[in-house]
Amino acid sequence: MKHRLHEFLLRLRALFVRRRLEREMADELAFHQAMLQDKLMRQGASPDEAQRSARLRFGDGRRWHERLRELWQFRWLENMRRDVTYSVRVLRRSPGFTAVAILTLALGVGANTSVFSIVNGLLLRPLPVPESDRLVVLEMLRGFPDPVEGFSEPMFRALENRHDSFSEVFATFQTEAEIKGENGTEPARIELVSGDFFAGLRTPPLMGRILTRADDQKGGNPNGFAIVISEGFWQRWFNRAPGVIGQKLHLDNVLFTVVGVMPKRFIGEDPLQRPEIFVPLAAEPAMDGERNLTTAGLNAWWMNIMARLQPGVTMEQANAQLAAESGPVLRQLNANGAWISQREKEHFRLQAESGSTGYTFTRQLFRKPLIAVFAMCGGVLLLACLNLASLLMARGAARQKELATRLSMGATRRRLVQQLLTESLLISAAGTVVGLALAPWVGQSLSALLFAGQFETNLDTNLDIRVFAFAAAVSILATIIVGLVPALQATSSGLNEQMKQGQHTTQAHERHRVLPKIMMAFEVALALMLVVGAGLLTSSLVKLYRSGAGFDPRGLYSIAFSMDHQSKRGEALMQFYQEVGEELRRQPGVRTVSWQWVVPLAHMTWDRQYYAPGGKEEDVHENAIAPDYFKAMRLPVLGGRDFRWDDRSSSGEKVILNRTAANLLFPGRNAVGQTINRKDQSEVASLEVIGVVGDAKYEDVRSAAPPTLYHAMTQGDKEQSPSFNAVVRVEGPATGLANAARSIVLKIDSAIPAPKVSSMETLVDESLSAERTMALISGFFALCALMVTAIGLYGTLAYATARRTTEIGIRMALGAKRAQVARMVFAQNSAVALAGAAGGLGCALFGSKLLASFLYGTSERDPWIFAGSILMLALIASAASLLPALRAARIEPMRAIRCE
Amino acid sequence: MESIRDSGELIPGTLEMLILKALYRGPQHGYAVAEWIQGTSQQVLKVEEGALYPALHRMELRGLLKAKWGASENNRRAKFYELTTEGHKQLQSESRRWARLSSAVAFVMQAS
Repeated sequence: MKHRLHEFLLRLRALFVRRRLEREMADELAFHQAMLQDKLMRQGASPDEAQRSARLRFGDGRRWHERLRELWQFRWLENMRRDVTYSVRVLRRSPGFTAVAILTLALGVGANTSVFSIVNGLLLRPLPVPESDRLVVLEMLRGFPDPVEGFSEPMFRALENRHDSFSEVFATFQTEAEIKGENGTEPARIELVSGDFFAGLRTPPLMGRILTRADDQKGGNPNGFAIVISEGFWQRWFNRAPGVIGQKLHLDNVLFTVVGVMPKRFIGEDPLQRPEIFVPLAAEPAMDGERNLTTAGLNAWWMNIMARLQPGVTMEQANAQLAAESGPVLRQLNANGAWISQREKEHFRLQAESGSTGYTFTRQLFRKPLIAVFAMCGGVLLLACLNLASLLMARGAARQKELATRLSMGATRRRLVQQLLTESLLISAAGTVVGLALAPWVGQSLSALLFAGQFETNLDTNLDIRVFAFAAAVSILATIIVGLVPALQATSSGLNEQMKQGQHTTQAHERHRVLPKIMMAFEVALALMLVVGAGLLTSSLVKLYRSGAGFDPRGLYSIAFSMDHQSKRGEALMQFYQEVGEELRRQPGVRTVSWQWVVPLAHMTWDRQYYAPGGKEEDVHENAIAPDYFKAMRLPVLGGRDFRWDDRSSSGEKVILNRTAANLLFPGRNAVGQTINRKDQSEVASLEVIGVVGDAKYEDVRSAAPPTLYHAMTQGDKEQSPSFNAVVRVEGPATGLANAARSIVLKIDSAIPAPKVSSMETLVDESLSAERTMALISGFFALCALMVTAIGLYGTLAYATARRTTEIGIRMALGAKRAQVARMVFAQNSAVALAGAAGGLGCALFGSKLLASFLYGTSERDPWIFAGSILMLALIASAASLLPALRAARIEPMRAIRCE
Repeated sequence: MESIRDSGELIPGTLEMLILKALYRGPQHGYAVAEWIQGTSQQVLKVEEGALYPALHRMELRGLLKAKWGASENNRRAKFYELTTEGHKQLQSESRRWARLSSAVAFVMQAS
């Protein structure tokens, strides 16, 4: 043992002083030779003679040297060096194969790593705050299948001081605010945070101080409202001025004082957002004015609550505590008995979930599609590996003579496997390196594609230790699949026999080889599954687009006017909108202009309970609109009339229903002229139905049009904010619309922020972005899978056929027709493809269930898609088999037989 | 690990023991080791260079010898080998083993 260690250390040292060691060996031998020469000369030989006989005795110096050198080397290291040089030489001899192999793996590893880096950024990466594993996200169970994360202000205040299991409980809400600058107002991303937000996230400020409970009071701390800004905002707004602490800022017309700056690494609780300003939650009523969310109390569910576990408290204990507190928290709220009993009927319960990765709404939205994409990506990589393995196997078969020769020269099987493994290791290492180099770029574009237009997101997809570990695991796995199986197969027993007997014996051997066939069949099965998945998702997307939004989004624009912080209300406000509408109508290309409060498909919902006299209460979505709305949206008026600008509250409240609402509230009756009711706090409101219109989608394109009720914006409603959106139908380009809207507003009142124009067509696209991306990505993967499978089928068959040249020559010489030969070769692949397709069909029938939740109007077992996919694979397989078959048919028997 | 056992005309396995013995008197270079063995054995034992140097290097690797460069008697730069404590121990056990073995062989050969 001791000897071994000594030897190991000396050899290790020898690695580094190799040159010196070589020189010393030469010197030592030269010395010996010189001494010998001296001795011979002393015995009377002439110098020439002495030199000659000394050299004769020594023989070849290089052989000596080699023997001594071997002593000082690690044998395995030397073997590896030789294997690498040899493998590089072999790979360079077939550059086409090498390039395809490396590229396939690079794509596989690159795509997987980049998808994983998104998964990592969105689902796995802990928040960059101390002890993030102690953070939890609070949720409510209230009758829905999934927990709800949006809380109301009174509920948060009831939870904020409960410190039995949490050291801090804090609430957050991300929104936008207008900052008053030197040239008009500018939007900024702000985050409303409760008093313990910074204490809970445990990050010290870069400058100044953090916000505390003392800042989260009505009216702020004794010196007014305080804010903390991000380092990014400090840069953008204050140009990193050192005297920023104590500066004043007007946010939504409320005066704030900057008390601290947070460092760049602090991103708050949402890994996707980078809020610029942190504002105390208690400032919300002042900022949002008369329609604020805080005063709305239990009618507004808007904030997210997170908490930090007390030291020593486990998640289970916290959850038990929360379950026990759910009832007391409800009763602590200043709510009426009916409301509380309603919650109790829903089995209202609070619970906590791990918050170590922070909270982001996007996660709920993208978890499933992301995992689906990840699975598809893994499938493609597996496919690529299988493909390379079967190609290597085919190559191994073609190289059997070389291997047999080496085996007979005394190489052990182990050494051959080592050398072959080195070859695949080189391929997979090169593939991994190229793939990793591509990964950040692919990851960025993929996340841009995935989250396109959805939100302004800042997903950190950087390569961290987890991504590297993943990439390493993937490439090791790939190497094993790609390398080990073919290497073992190629060096299997019987090689010597083949050497002795030339090529003929290998043929029987070749035909009975099942492993490559199983692998190819597996490939076909995998490819079929991917193609089926892509087909289902694409068909679902097409159906979604075809189902449409109900209204016609082409040439339709929405212009948002922000009037919350202006003084115009009531009549003056309607006057303003009517005036702006008329100005807009005069713009070139504009056909119709109207107004709406809620923009469909923009993720905003306004709904209350309505009932027909004697009927039961139904949940009805609402919107407030101006005359000509249905004309602008191109929604058919099915009965009754449209609103008029002179429909005022004095003439009794009038509403228009969509078809679904009319059928729901007045089944089998004409709704026009009927009355519907709504229970408000203590009284009952009566509304007259004056029209029925066609259905339009409301929250998103996926869900069917909900029962919807339209109010006249002129009749006002206490729930309606003063900020409306113009609905503009344009023919031709709408490029001038934004400027026109701005100048119209400026002419009336320069204090009004610039209106924002958005295209409804884009909105429809965006609302389908997840579906579109899924279809796009799965289509891309399916295409890759088809290509890879085609290459694999072609490659293996071409190799196998090339090796049967002599056999085919003999068959033909004995009278086989060319067509027969072609059929024989073709049949080889058909069997493989058929077996694979059958297996794949079975798996796809099972696997497509996983996609069911992504599908719209498409059965997960859609026979057309399945049939089409099989047909496509059959075509690809036939195309891949045709060329080798034709080549086999063109073999000249005489030449083929002679070439042996 | 290494199993090159090139013993020339020597009885297999004895070369290392002879080298140890040669170096017992003090540090020597390879040439002197060969000469000493040859001279002391009255030219009976011939040490081939092809066996000597690999043996020396192997013993150095195993820690029985340590090597140092110095000036030879005629002022040439030469590599001198020297016994380590490990080498001394090895020499002791080898010579004991040899004594036992050779007397046993002699005993057998003298039997009638």
